[in-house]
Amino acid sequence: MRRPIVEIVLACLCAGQFTVQAQDFKLFDREVQVHGFASQGFVYTNTNNWLTMNTSQGSGAFTDFGLNVSTSITDKLRVGAQVYDRNLGQFGRYHPSLDWAVVDYRFKNWFGVRGGKVKTTLGLYTDTQDLDFLRTFALLPQSVYPTDLRDAAIAHLGGDVYGTVPLRHGLGDIVYTAYAGHRSDSIYNGYEYLASSYKLYYSSYGGLQYGGDLRWHTPLKGLLIGASRMNEDLTGKGTFINPFNPDAGLLPESGHSKADWTNQFYAEHIAGKLRIDMEYRRFLHDERDDSGVTLLFENVTDVRGWYVSGTYRVMKRLALGSYYSRYSVTSVTTGPLAPLFPPQTDTSLPANHIYDKVISARFDLKKFWNIKIEGHFMDGYGASTYPDGFYPQVNPQGFKPNTNALVVKTGINF
Amino acid sequence: MKCPRTLLVAAGLLIFAAVDSLAGEVKVIANPSVKADAISAADLKRVFLEEKILLADGTHVEPVLGKDGPVHAAFRQEYLGLSEDDLQTYYRTLVFTGRGSMPKALGSDAEVVAYVARTRGAIGYVSSAASAEGVKTLAIDAPGTSAERKLLTRVEPDYPETLSRLNIGGTVRLRVSISAKGNVEHVELLGGNPILGDAAAVAVKKWVYAAGRSRTVEDVSLSFGGH
Repeated sequence: MRRPIVEIVLACLCAGQFTVQAQDFKLFDREVQVHGFASQGFVYTNTNNWLTMNTSQGSGAFTDFGLNVSTSITDKLRVGAQVYDRNLGQFGRYHPSLDWAVVDYRFKNWFGVRGGKVKTTLGLYTDTQDLDFLRTFALLPQSVYPTDLRDAAIAHLGGDVYGTVPLRHGLGDIVYTAYAGHRSDSIYNGYEYLASSYKLYYSSYGGLQYGGDLRWHTPLKGLLIGASRMNEDLTGKGTFINPFNPDAGLLPESGHSKADWTNQFYAEHIAGKLRIDMEYRRFLHDERDDSGVTLLFENVTDVRGWYVSGTYRVMKRLALGSYYSRYSVTSVTTGPLAPLFPPQTDTSLPANHIYDKVISARFDLKKFWNIKIEGHFMDGYGASTYPDGFYPQVNPQGFKPNTNALVVKTGINF
Repeated sequence: MKCPRTLLVAAGLLIFAAVDSLAGEVKVIANPSVKADAISAADLKRVFLEEKILLADGTHVEPVLGKDGPVHAAFRQEYLGLSEDDLQTYYRTLVFTGRGSMPKALGSDAEVVAYVARTRGAIGYVSSAASAEGVKTLAIDAPGTSAERKLLTRVEPDYPETLSRLNIGGTVRLRVSISAKGNVEHVELLGGNPILGDAAAVAVKKWVYAAGRSRTVEDVSLSFGGH
């Protein structure tokens, strides 16, 4: 039923007889706002299958949508919630989730608290990575914002403190956020999907997530500089099949992170119709997996990614953009199951990097409706113990070193 | 083909000039519950970006937008420094991450004035010619433009005879709101002897500044009795 619904909605849109607008209504004399979005994409690649879709044949398994409701209870107290669902190849699989649900109290301009399920602030776009209508690009640079790992940093069940502090002498504003909470992955996420290729089946994955973000709106018009840090203490539980003794069947398995942190540094400059972004991200994950009795393996994964992007609004209905995204990964495994995971330390090899050159065009057909066409030219496929878009399950024939991709995406928002 | 292109460029320049000239014709209005008579340009931007919900005096404020049109464009360019795209992207980011609301956006000056008049803490903007019935007009202290407001006519204050005889003097500090045309619209005593302040205010109200792009606010000090 879902596919026909999406097709009917898109057909209505194509007919041009459709308008979409935000809905406001009063409830107990308070204004309630309702907003939503939906998008449908198509991806074609010339070689490897990408993002768990059968893209070498062309795939439209790229749908998402969300709906939120919010209101102000008092001048300082706001509440709201958003539901989100997606189907991206093997990710999401149309299992709706509570994207965020917050109670937000602003004591002062420089101090507020929000609690509940809260979007995690990490770099420029972690919290808005699902909202492609906010950007020119159909896909964010995957070196820093891997869409297959969306669940890993999208939100935490906990709380934030935040605020804006104006600096003296016209030195701009500092915006800060500090947070702590519990991260809980869907089992339809990249890490869980990749683990299944090693016969490791997680039934749950998550844990403590805490960190902060500091961003400086500099006195130079349109220039923002910032840094984020996130620490995690994660546990995964599930079962596995020992490849050296498959007759034993499914055995209990659990993984615990010894270290898990992310550092991110970024800058954004907006000058009229031109926007330039730069970000660098380093992620380190050290995990021990055991069967409850003995150590199975310990893996240290070190991921580094950065990108530079530029977008320019050529005219009211057309924006063009381009970015260069560079990703590399090293992975070293020890323990009894180490032979399953050969060490990957040479980042010059295609198996350990992805260098992606991207060009994109966005057409705004209506205020609420856009279409994007995007070309990706990727060197490397980065297949390792860390999810990065290319998975052995959908590439059983092995990987080719280069992949070109065409992404076409359309979306509405109100 | 040259002629249409020239016409297009000319039309573009005319539109740009029209929007630019309108910048000085925008006035910022507030619900009477807003105690302040003036707001800095930086704070005005923070209010409209929902970073500031409380003014220094503790008044809660809520931004009210105009829908499209030259007044909205002039305000957005002059005080927010964002393109329409970037402004909408900013608000949508707040809305879809649970960090804020979409501000009220109204279609005409009359609707903005009516909404601001009945909504506690509301701050909006309308064209200078619009009626301001039921609302107050806020002066904008725009850093960078104040320096351009050259004082053309200065009238010295009368030193009240009684105070002069008793050798009571001192310095008074005044906050002066200057219209885009250069006239002093409002004077507020910030410090000093109130009687001397009244005398100073009478004189300062006769001062004339050079015309500017918008209303500005300046602090001035006047001394009495050789201080």
